[in-house]
Amino acid sequence: MMRYAFLTALILLALAQTTSAQALDISAGGQPTITGSVSGSVTGSASVLNDLVVTINFGEVSPLNTNSIVKVVVPIALRSNQPYQVSVSVSGLNNANPQALQASDVGFGLQNMDLLGGAGKVCTQSTHIFTSPFNNDPAVTATIGSNGRVVYPSSLANLSGSTVILSGPILSKNNSSKRQQSDGYVFDAIFTVTPQFFAAGVSSATLIFSISPGPNVPC
Amino acid sequence: MPRKKIFLKLCLLATLLMVQAVSCFGQSTTGSVNMSATVSKFVEINSGGAVTLSGNSGGGVTTDGVANSPLAVSINLGELGPSNLNSFVTAQVPLKLRSNAAYVLSMSATVTSSGTTASRIGAADVGFGLGTVSRTGLGVNAGSDTNATSGDPTLAANGAVNGTTGRYEFTAVRSNLSAFSSSTTALSGPIIMNAVPRSNANGLTVPALFAIKPQFFENGTTTISVTFTVTAP
Repeated sequence: MMRYAFLTALILLALAQTTSAQALDISAGGQPTITGSVSGSVTGSASVLNDLVVTINFGEVSPLNTNSIVKVVVPIALRSNQPYQVSVSVSGLNNANPQALQASDVGFGLQNMDLLGGAGKVCTQSTHIFTSPFNNDPAVTATIGSNGRVVYPSSLANLSGSTVILSGPILSKNNSSKRQQSDGYVFDAIFTVTPQFFAAGVSSATLIFSISPGPNVPC
Repeated sequence: MPRKKIFLKLCLLATLLMVQAVSCFGQSTTGSVNMSATVSKFVEINSGGAVTLSGNSGGGVTTDGVANSPLAVSINLGELGPSNLNSFVTAQVPLKLRSNAAYVLSMSATVTSSGTTASRIGAADVGFGLGTVSRTGLGVNAGSDTNATSGDPTLAANGAVNGTTGRYEFTAVRSNLSAFSSSTTALSGPIIMNAVPRSNANGLTVPALFAIKPQFFENGTTTISVTFTVTAP
């Protein structure tokens, strides 16, 4: 009877290890930062061991903010033991007035895909790819459109449903089911708003970043 | 201890370990970024450019207007007695307004003279009006503005010699500074600017027109102070 009991316990433990071991993980990638804001803020964990939960307040984006641009950098960490892709969906930004803040007024770009640390996997046969048009820093690439309004090569308007923004090969050397400090990659998600003569009001949006199995590229 | 109890305890331990394992791993396939931004009502008034002074005898523009800079002009209207043979001394001060909301331009004025009689220059002797409103340029919103003044005070329709007193009077609605002894609306309208950066220098421009008819005023000096204020009600 004792033998069966131990066996059962071991099987249950193994099951626990197997069923909870996630091959894909997305988390905070470091301290988010904000520049150029008036009464703005950004909150989020600086620890790569914590979930990605970031709150951005761009603050005042009327001409009362005399800075040229409000820029927020959100580091995001990824881990996987298989090829992966990262998708983003956006909701909540639905201003009917075209002169109010629109999705196209929030620049969104990706930069700086880097190893978290020594336990990140370096693949030589495939690269991590920021999906076009997101591979840019919108604070640098912003231009004035033909109507005088600021335009970005990529913005929240480029997100349609769940949009793949990044994909690549295996990210982690180990096969640990536990988040570690150095077992993956980190990249910067960059958000910008240029203060303009927007119609007055308060706008908000929610972005959901998801990691899932991606194209089966070799490492 | 009966074997059955040991078995149950081991099962319980294993379950606890499993729960612990699940909670410790703490991995996630999703993350969230919530964002918000505020756009407050914004209005501004600046100089629309250089002042034009005409009909003056002596005097001149002491501090001129500089386009897109804060409005702070100073004008010496010169001689306003009968030795000035021009029909009017006029000063045209260009204003530039910008807003992301409906606006109201108000004005208040004070006129102080060293004279002591009714013949001294008073607020009613200073004609005032706003000229043609212009909404042109990239990023400027089309809209219809309401000019609460009667326009150019030198127009024949806006003033005449008083048949009883012989004094020239600006008679049209809000055509002289006596109508602006307290803050009074001079112009109003809808949102001026589309969603463009502040670096876009365009806006609504309108000339503020001041006029004085040289007459046998009591001699002395007169100071006229005018303050423009734009608000977004």
